[in-house]
Amino acid sequence: MVPAVEIDHVSYTYPASGFDASPLLAIDDVNFTIDEHTKLGVLGPNGGGKSTLIKLILGMIKPTSGTIRVFGRSPIEAREQGLIGYLPQRIEADRDWPISVEQVVALGRACRIKPWKKLAVDDRQAINRAIELVDLADLAHRPIGGLSGGQLQRVMIARAIAGNPKLLVLDEPTVGVDIAGQQRFGELIETLHKELDLTVVVVSHDMRAIAAVADRIACLSRTLHFHDTAQGLTPAVLAQVFAHDVAGVFGDIHIDAHLADDCDDPSHIHQHQHDCGCGDQGGES
Amino acid sequence: MNELAPIIIAALAIALMGGALSVFVVLKRLAFIGQGISHAAFGGVGIALVLGVHGATTMGEIGQLAIVVAFSILAALWIAALTRSHQGRADTAIGVVLSASMALGFVLFTFAESGHGHDEHGHAAAEHQDEHHLIEEILFGNILDTDWPKASLAIAVVIAILAVVWCIRRQLIFWAFDEPVVDAYGLNSKRITNTFLVILAVAIVMAMQIAGVVLAAAMLVLPGAGALNLSSKLRSVFVYSVLIAVGGASIGMLIGFQAGYPIGPTIVLTQSVMYLISHIAKIAATRRLA
Repeated sequence: MVPAVEIDHVSYTYPASGFDASPLLAIDDVNFTIDEHTKLGVLGPNGGGKSTLIKLILGMIKPTSGTIRVFGRSPIEAREQGLIGYLPQRIEADRDWPISVEQVVALGRACRIKPWKKLAVDDRQAINRAIELVDLADLAHRPIGGLSGGQLQRVMIARAIAGNPKLLVLDEPTVGVDIAGQQRFGELIETLHKELDLTVVVVSHDMRAIAAVADRIACLSRTLHFHDTAQGLTPAVLAQVFAHDVAGVFGDIHIDAHLADDCDDPSHIHQHQHDCGCGDQGGES
Repeated sequence: MNELAPIIIAALAIALMGGALSVFVVLKRLAFIGQGISHAAFGGVGIALVLGVHGATTMGEIGQLAIVVAFSILAALWIAALTRSHQGRADTAIGVVLSASMALGFVLFTFAESGHGHDEHGHAAAEHQDEHHLIEEILFGNILDTDWPKASLAIAVVIAILAVVWCIRRQLIFWAFDEPVVDAYGLNSKRITNTFLVILAVAIVMAMQIAGVVLAAAMLVLPGAGALNLSSKLRSVFVYSVLIAVGGASIGMLIGFQAGYPIGPTIVLTQSVMYLISHIAKIAATRRLA
């Protein structure tokens, strides 16, 4: 079976953006695959390359070295074929727009329809289903101006899934959301994962946000380390995994670097533990 | 009446186009870019003058129009490129392009004028007056010299612009609503931005035929701004915008022709009054609901 995402020895360096600036290595020789139907959480500090990884998967930037395949295609082909749904960290859409929930969701599907064609019955059905799955059917015809922040985020999720993608990419989806909200968000993503047979990638600096959504976890701090657990990331496993005090960043959640079995270089593990636990390196995230 | 027919038809066609485009201009917050492009067009007029392409004949006017359109498109794309290199700060880009183009325009005007002065001493004063009349026309528009060939060209350009906008309407709405994510949906935001700015540049040069450099952008802002006061439904906003644009142009021309006022500024003033009325109506409706 073709993996959802294959990242083969990928590095990315941002070019110097001025006379007195220097190039910035954001991703360094990252090498992993994401199997279909998994829910992968990518945890890392600010400036650790999480957003760069997303841009690479979405094909918005090209790797400086290495290759990325999404369902066996180039990322650009994959997104042009509607295989990728994307929820950005910040919703920058203007709430004053004269546009309804249904119209926003339809944008995610209609943008690929030929200009002389109207939305077909199956397009309408997909749009309505997306709205129902995020539980906004009652508000479908409301202008977006009157929605709460959480409702607007669900509209954007519905827009992301309206085109029937196979991969859903979520960038810091629960920033500023309380634990109960993160839990509800996790349940929603779980519903979408099951109903639509989605592969999900969520990136965040917040362990709780990752725990609420993901069943596999990786830590990215310029280089990437996988933490696979046989049972998935249950609360019990979490308690076992996070035994090292990193309260400065994750509150009462702990990380035990010994479970990073696939990091065979002890100094690397130490660096990884340090970066994930304490590092707020600033800059690009 | 026959003399007025091409003027009226050209003005209504250009107003209709302004009504449709202004919804995108206002929602995408491109009003200031519109001003930048229209003022940049002044540089294009200067180039046309120096090249000896001017409005003495219909062909000369069309040639001048082509040069101004080409220059405006370049200015629009330059604004887009500078905006990208300034981390999305369009105001800096517009400040640079607007000033450079206006300055270029005035320098070239003076150059063309001095060239005439040296060549034709006897006609220097008359030429000087002509140049100033020309500058006034460029700044504030002169639709009164529109004949059928010019009106036909205007209608053809308006149809072409509306056809392109209709073809890419879904992508345009998505881009205008939420540009940062459209690339992730398989669209090309840079291409859409450039396409719309080219459309805007051509539209502004057409609107300049009515309202000149100074007021052209207003015809691509006022109808949409007024319509957004009247409805929160996208389709209705487009309908109201076209009604304000065409209604304002009709009433403006009626007042202008009757009272002998300059047509372009009168149309813009009428659309401004309609915008003001829509704003008052919105406030009244909000208070009634509250």
